[in-house]
Amino acid sequence: MNQIMPAHNIGDYVPMIDGPEKVSGRAKFTADLVVPGALAGHIFRSPYSHAEILEIDVTEAAKLPGVKAIVTGADCDKTFGVLPIARTEHPLARDKVRYCGEPVAAVAAVDDATAKEALRRIKLKVRQLPAYHTAGAALAPDAINIHECRAHNIERDVFFELGDVAAAFAGADLVREGTYNCAEVCQNQMEMHAALADYDAVRDRITVHASTQVPYYVHLMLSQILGMDMSRIRVVKPHVGGGFGCRTETLNVELIAALLARKAGGCVRLVVNREETFITHRGRPETDIRLKIGLRKDGRVAGVECECTQRGGAHSGYGVVTILYAGSMLYAIYDLHNVKYIGKRVLTNTPPCGAFRGHGTVDVRFAFESLLDQMASEMGLDPIAVRRTNLLKVPTFTDNDLMVNSYGLPECIDWVEKASGWKERKGRLLSPNGIKKGLGFACSHYISGASKPVNWTGEPHATIKLKLDFDGSIVLLTGAAEIGQGSSTVLVQSVAEVLGLELSRIRIVTGDSDVVPKDNGSYSSRVTFMVGNAAIDAANNLKAVLIAAAARKLDAKPDEIECLGELYRAGAQDKGLTFNEVVTEALRDTGTITVTGNYSTIPESHGGKKYRGSAIGGTMGYSYAAQVVEVSVDEDTGVVTVDKVWVAHDCGRALNRLTVEGQVQGSVWMGMGQAMSEEAAYHEGLMLTANMLDYRVPTIQDSPPIEVGIIESIDPHGPFGAKEAGEGSLAAFLPALTNAIADATGLRFNDLPVTPDRVFAALEKRVREAGRKQNGGG
Amino acid sequence: MDALPQFDILRPRTLDELIAARTRHAESRLLGGGTDLVVNIRRGIVAPPVLIDVNGVSELGTVRADAHALEIGAAVTLADLAAHPDVLRYYPVVAQAAAHIAGPTHRAMGTVGGNLCLDTRCIYYNQSEWWRGANHHCLKTTGAICHVAPKSRGVCFATFSGDLAPALLTLDAEIDIAGPNGRRTMPLADLYIGYARQDVPMTETQGDGKYFLSLGPGEFVATVRANNTLGLRSAYDKIRIRRSIEYPVAGVAVALRRDGDTLADLRVAFTGTNPRPVRLAGTAAVCGGPLDDRVFQDLEALVRDQIMAMKTTFTPGHYRRRVAGVLARRLVQRLFDA
Repeated sequence: MNQIMPAHNIGDYVPMIDGPEKVSGRAKFTADLVVPGALAGHIFRSPYSHAEILEIDVTEAAKLPGVKAIVTGADCDKTFGVLPIARTEHPLARDKVRYCGEPVAAVAAVDDATAKEALRRIKLKVRQLPAYHTAGAALAPDAINIHECRAHNIERDVFFELGDVAAAFAGADLVREGTYNCAEVCQNQMEMHAALADYDAVRDRITVHASTQVPYYVHLMLSQILGMDMSRIRVVKPHVGGGFGCRTETLNVELIAALLARKAGGCVRLVVNREETFITHRGRPETDIRLKIGLRKDGRVAGVECECTQRGGAHSGYGVVTILYAGSMLYAIYDLHNVKYIGKRVLTNTPPCGAFRGHGTVDVRFAFESLLDQMASEMGLDPIAVRRTNLLKVPTFTDNDLMVNSYGLPECIDWVEKASGWKERKGRLLSPNGIKKGLGFACSHYISGASKPVNWTGEPHATIKLKLDFDGSIVLLTGAAEIGQGSSTVLVQSVAEVLGLELSRIRIVTGDSDVVPKDNGSYSSRVTFMVGNAAIDAANNLKAVLIAAAARKLDAKPDEIECLGELYRAGAQDKGLTFNEVVTEALRDTGTITVTGNYSTIPESHGGKKYRGSAIGGTMGYSYAAQVVEVSVDEDTGVVTVDKVWVAHDCGRALNRLTVEGQVQGSVWMGMGQAMSEEAAYHEGLMLTANMLDYRVPTIQDSPPIEVGIIESIDPHGPFGAKEAGEGSLAAFLPALTNAIADATGLRFNDLPVTPDRVFAALEKRVREAGRKQNGGG
Repeated sequence: MDALPQFDILRPRTLDELIAARTRHAESRLLGGGTDLVVNIRRGIVAPPVLIDVNGVSELGTVRADAHALEIGAAVTLADLAAHPDVLRYYPVVAQAAAHIAGPTHRAMGTVGGNLCLDTRCIYYNQSEWWRGANHHCLKTTGAICHVAPKSRGVCFATFSGDLAPALLTLDAEIDIAGPNGRRTMPLADLYIGYARQDVPMTETQGDGKYFLSLGPGEFVATVRANNTLGLRSAYDKIRIRRSIEYPVAGVAVALRRDGDTLADLRVAFTGTNPRPVRLAGTAAVCGGPLDDRVFQDLEALVRDQIMAMKTTFTPGHYRRRVAGVLARRLVQRLFDA
């Protein structure tokens, strides 16, 4: 007779809980916030790549009626930066400008037109310095230092050798080396950077709304830059239109808005345009890779040597972390020993790079999977079989002490092999008239949050608060930043699942430092794993309170109470109590109930001490992915068409299949952009492609059918067994594409993006060389 | 997004009102869809105090097409042109070119007149005011040199990128021009004067990427017209990096007639390469025989001689020139075999 069952949602296709607002346009983003009397902020940017500032003359600008405040480097001598060891950036340049577009001054005025006119009246006098727009130029022996504290323009040198690489190569049956170049790419999230800073001069307090992935880091940096106690600062994150990593550190936009607001004694709205968003940058650096692999004839990797140079741009940002990831994440996907890594993060006079989806791992993965494919083909081995030969046996710790527990890569490989018809179709695709078709394969992986956060003070990695009151609704308070990736949905799902309730009982409040617990933010795919676990902990704590109340009311012991979501009872014969009745009972003693949930990573996941920086790469769980890409190459025009993509992703457990599929498709798509058309190019330090026409993000017309296979390896530590789903699939697309082009045409493309002109040039070169051979022979 | 500067919009209802408004406001610009102009205004490339919206002028808003002749008003949208059943049937090259322009939203707004008079483009020109200032401006605006060819001696190489022009050039289209001095008719080919020759001084009929249209002060294109040629087969194709939104890396229109096994007539026109759309000269000489390798070799030589390869776009010029030839060859073969 009792048909009441707890509600379940985990593993379902759950629409995003903030979907209705976004679809209907009711969602408010930072630029939508209208504050009467808010001043318009605009930034004066350096037209020079590298120059000593002699004078910033703002007198004419200041005379303009309607100008309320002008700030320059003279207004702030503090520096900011996401890494405590590398805070080298001023919100507004002081002494020197280091890249074209660097903020030099900013104006707050009564309207946009006045502010822009004021910018025209600002005069910047400089002494130009030699500018270095490539890593090579910055590393030249006679180059001057872009930052005095960084000798030879090296942000960080990394070196490690684990095992004996020379001996491994000596014992290998085939050793090959390749060089690879991946162009710089930008995230190009939909929403442009924006901040609204409101300074309360009476109380000396400030409220800043910002389009950020990391409200807590913004809070920290505002305090540092403004010299204000953190308790006087409130940071609010409204709806955010994407990030993909470019907002995982505090940007100059929110800091400049705050400086202007304080100086003007009011509210300043600073919304930068698309070009400025590009130049604010924090994209993936241009990367040069020299990779050498030794293979034994059974396909086992004997040894690896990887040299990676990143053009980091003019400031440190996440640079040290990026160059460390590029090395450490050679591991944890295959069973590798004898690995040497030489990394160089270089400072250059270009906009600062940062953390881009797949942070640090993507370009090295491209090189590795390309060379492995090339070598497999040279040895007559199936590329998939070569991967299988090198699989990890888990649980294990890698040579660089990364902890691997769940490992769904074998199943990912199986899935794409079967779904794509690899065995039957590889090498047998028909090539109609001038069109060459091919299949390519590759794997990739990523972390589920860094086990050691960059600004760690010893607190739990994640904290959730749940509030339950008389109305029977549960309010979930979290600092986790919903940026469109679905974090709010997954946290609500987690709490609902534990309590057996419908999602509608739960409301979520995020992104207001006055209300929500501190959270490190949305980056490195940490939220589902860490904050999800904290949400489960909080829900269990709340459940214990409710069970205790039900037991009291039903005169039973807590362990006799059965929680069925909307019904609590002391056995099947018991009529039980409704959820609201339990809540009423629970409130009797304490009034409004608040519970806390926490999560901390375990020390074993923190990486080792075998080389400097070896904590980078440590995580509680790695996601895995495999991809097969099918292409058509038009040999007359060089145009490459992606016909289909099969991608399998091991996310531990899909908490929400809808968002997992969306994230995996989005990763493939973003990888496709980097592989085929996107490039941040410069003309003497000026970004040439800082617009949506020349920076070629693929359109929906370019999107192939993407078939997603979800592999669930059930991670022992993950929330309900889950791991990350939003980044790990990206990297594999790049090599799977070039491997497919090689399969189709016999041509290897080691430089990205593979644009039609590059394909065409390679085809022409082959024709020329064939002609020469023929002539030479005849 | 940057706010637009202040300007007035006039909305004439008739061609005469339009001419009067254009005559009265020398600094005005015509507004069709604004898909190019508004972007340039936002970037501070142009700052017209008055925009004259042509969309309400009924004389400019119609397409007439039948088996004999085609007439298109300048305010007709690209989407309407691309979908017009009789244009599709009798003038496929025009419908195809219209359908290849930018993306669906641009075609819904963009007009025939706007595309025919599309401002020439260059990576050093289509940038923000800040960017161009930091790069010391260029010939096409207020600067002293062309960054594409710093030794060009005053010649600008900005590239014409409209898709409709080559299609209409293969049909020997003519245009009606209206302006303060009344109306006149001339071949469409004469509208385009972007020869960018460094060996002779510029004249009213020999311009460059900056002076690329032969329109006089206050003049504008009102109508474009073409006759049908019995048995003419035509098509348009273009290369782009993405399949939507893009200006052509290279665009090619071909029209030809086949008489038995003989290539009786061949017309080829290009866009996205030179400061003007180029109707290839000398194609008559390759006609009169079968479509064999010799025709293609001659065609390739004509392309090599007449199609430029300057670095005005992010895609290398060499590729644009070569692929333009490839597209032409393919279209010729396809139409001949059809």
